[in-house]
Amino acid sequence: MNVRRWSALTKRELLKIVRNPAAIATGLLLPVLYLLLFGQGFNFTSFLNSPYLTPVQRTQLLHQYLLGAPDYFSYFAAGMVGFVGVTATLFVGANVIFDKLFGTLKRTAASPATAADIFGARLVAGSIQPVGLAFLVLGLAILLGDVGLAGLHVTAAVTVVGAGEIVAAILLLSLMFASLFLALGFTIEQPQTYFALVNAINLPVLLTSAALYPWGAMPAWLQGIASYNPITLAVEVLRIDLFGGNFYPYAAWVYLLGLIGWALAMFAVATLLTQRALAPKN
Amino acid sequence: MPDAIIAEGLSKTFNGSVKAVDGVSFSVKEGEVYGFLGPNGAGKTTTLSMLTAVLGPTTGRATVDGLDVSHNVHALKQRIGLVFQESTADPDLTGRENLDLAAALFGVPLRDTPKRVDELLNRLALADSADRLVKTFSGGMRRRLELAVGMIHSPRVLFLDEPTLGLDPQGRAGFWKIVSDLRKETGMTVFLTTHYLDEADGVCDRIAIIDHGKIVASGTPSELKDRLGGDIVTVRPLGDAAALGPALQALPGVTSVTAQDGTFRVKCPSGDTLIPKVVGAATGLGIGLAGVSLRRPSLDEVFLEFTGREFREDEGPTATDRAVFLSRVQDSRRGRR
Repeated sequence: MNVRRWSALTKRELLKIVRNPAAIATGLLLPVLYLLLFGQGFNFTSFLNSPYLTPVQRTQLLHQYLLGAPDYFSYFAAGMVGFVGVTATLFVGANVIFDKLFGTLKRTAASPATAADIFGARLVAGSIQPVGLAFLVLGLAILLGDVGLAGLHVTAAVTVVGAGEIVAAILLLSLMFASLFLALGFTIEQPQTYFALVNAINLPVLLTSAALYPWGAMPAWLQGIASYNPITLAVEVLRIDLFGGNFYPYAAWVYLLGLIGWALAMFAVATLLTQRALAPKN
Repeated sequence: MPDAIIAEGLSKTFNGSVKAVDGVSFSVKEGEVYGFLGPNGAGKTTTLSMLTAVLGPTTGRATVDGLDVSHNVHALKQRIGLVFQESTADPDLTGRENLDLAAALFGVPLRDTPKRVDELLNRLALADSADRLVKTFSGGMRRRLELAVGMIHSPRVLFLDEPTLGLDPQGRAGFWKIVSDLRKETGMTVFLTTHYLDEADGVCDRIAIIDHGKIVASGTPSELKDRLGGDIVTVRPLGDAAALGPALQALPGVTSVTAQDGTFRVKCPSGDTLIPKVVGAATGLGIGLAGVSLRRPSLDEVFLEFTGREFREDEGPTATDRAVFLSRVQDSRRGRR
C-alpha cells in the first residue's frame, strides 16, 4: 500500500461523506426511529414498578432479563448505539456501485493505485464515520430521559479504559460490516441487487443478535446463535461498560477478541473479492 | 524513430464466443498521433482497453513504451495517460481536488503538485471554475478536466477514447487544438479512437480503420484517400439501365465502376471532366438520368470502399451521452426547485 495514494483516496472519501449529509442522516435514521418509537413503546420494564413486586423481586427480574441494565430502554439503547455500526456502513458499498456506474472507479482503477489503496481508503473512511454517529445516538438516548421520555441511564462508572472499549467495539463492528458491504459493492453491478442483498443481511443479523431482546427472555437456541453474532459481541461490550459486568460470563476484552476475529475474517474475504474485481478483466 | 506502441495479433473474446477484436496488428511511432476509426461496436475501445491494461487480451501481445501490457501493468499505468469517453472525474469534488487526487495517484511529487495543477487549469481554461464542484461543470468543461487528469503526470503516451463525444463542433475544435499544442510541446505519442471522420482526418498522422474487430485499412489520411483512385462520380439512372455499366467502364479515365441498388459508383482521376462524358454516354444509349453527383475523396468514401457500406451513425446512445443526459436532467430538476 502506498501511503500517499491511500491518504489521498481516504481524503476523497471523507470529503464525500461531509458533503453528503443525507447519507449521514440515513445512517442515523433507523437507530433514532428505534429509540424514539420502538424503545418508547416497548419499554416493558415500567411493569416492574408494580406495587405487588418487592424491591428484591424487582432487582432479581432486572438481573435475570436485562443483565444488570436499570430498565429495558437503557438495555435496548445500548443495542441501538452498537447497531449504528451496521446502518452507517450500508452506504460504503452503495458508493462503490455508484462510482462504477458514473465512471469514477474506472478512473481510479486505471491509475497506479492498487486494490489495497482503493479498498483501504474506503474501509477507513467508512469505519470512522459510524464511531462519531454512535456517540451522537448515545447522547440522544441519554438526553431523551431529560425531556420526559424513557432515556438511557448509565449506572456504571465509565472509565477511560471503558470508553476506549466502547470505541473499539463500534470501530471493529464498523470495520467488519464496512468490509462486508465493500465486498458486495465491488462484486455487484446494480444498486437494486445491492440494496436487496443488504436488506436480506441487515434485518436477520439484527434479529439474531441481543440488540433488541432482553437476554433472559430469549429461548436457549436463540441465545446460542446470538452469542456468536458480531452485533451481540459489540453490544455486550457497551452494556458491560455502561451498566457493569457482574452478570456477563466474560470480561469486555473477550468480546472484543471475538469482534477482532469477525473483522479479520470479513476483511480477508473482502480483500480477496476486491482484488479480483479490480484486476484487469480476462 | 522507435515504436511507442506495438500490437501483434491482439484479440479479445468475451464470454467465450463474442469476438470483439480479431487479431489486430499495428505499430505507432513515438510522437505520432494514431487514430482508430470505426463505428460503435467495431472494437476500438476494446483495443484501447487492452493497450491500457484495463482488459487482458485473449490472445496476442502488445507493448506500450516498451512495456508488455500483460506483465508490466503497474509500470505501464504510471507512464500512460488515459482519457475515457465518459466523464470519470468525481462530481462531488472540485476540479482542483480532482487534479490533486490524480497527482497523488500518479505520483507527481508533492512539492510540484500545486504548480502542475495550476498550469493545467490555466492551460485548459478551467482556472476560474477550479474550486467549483464538478457536478456544476458543463459537458465541455468536464471533457477538458478529463484531459487535465490524463495529462497530470506528463505521460509518454496519451490514450484518448472518443474524447469529444457529445461536444459541439466548437468544443471539439477547441479540444483538439489543446491536444495538438500539448503534443507539440511534449512530443508525447497520442493514440485515439473516434467515429468522427473529420476529426480523424484533421488530427491524425496515421489512421487504422477497424470494423467488426479487424483492421481493414491503415495509412496516412492522404494515402487512404489516394487508394480510392481519385474522385467518385455517382450516377443514378432512371429505370433499368444495365447497359449503362459497360458504357461507363469504357469511358476514358474511368478506373472502376461498381453497381449497387441501381446506382453506379464511378472512380476516376478527375470527376469534373468525366461528368459531361457520363451524360453523353447515357444519352447515346437512350437512358435518362435521375442525378449525377461528384464526391471528392474523403474518409467517408474510404470507409465505404474498405467496408462495403456507409459509415454507421445510427447506434444507440453511448455512456457519455447517457451521463450528459442524466446530468442535464438533474440540472433541470435543481432549476425547478
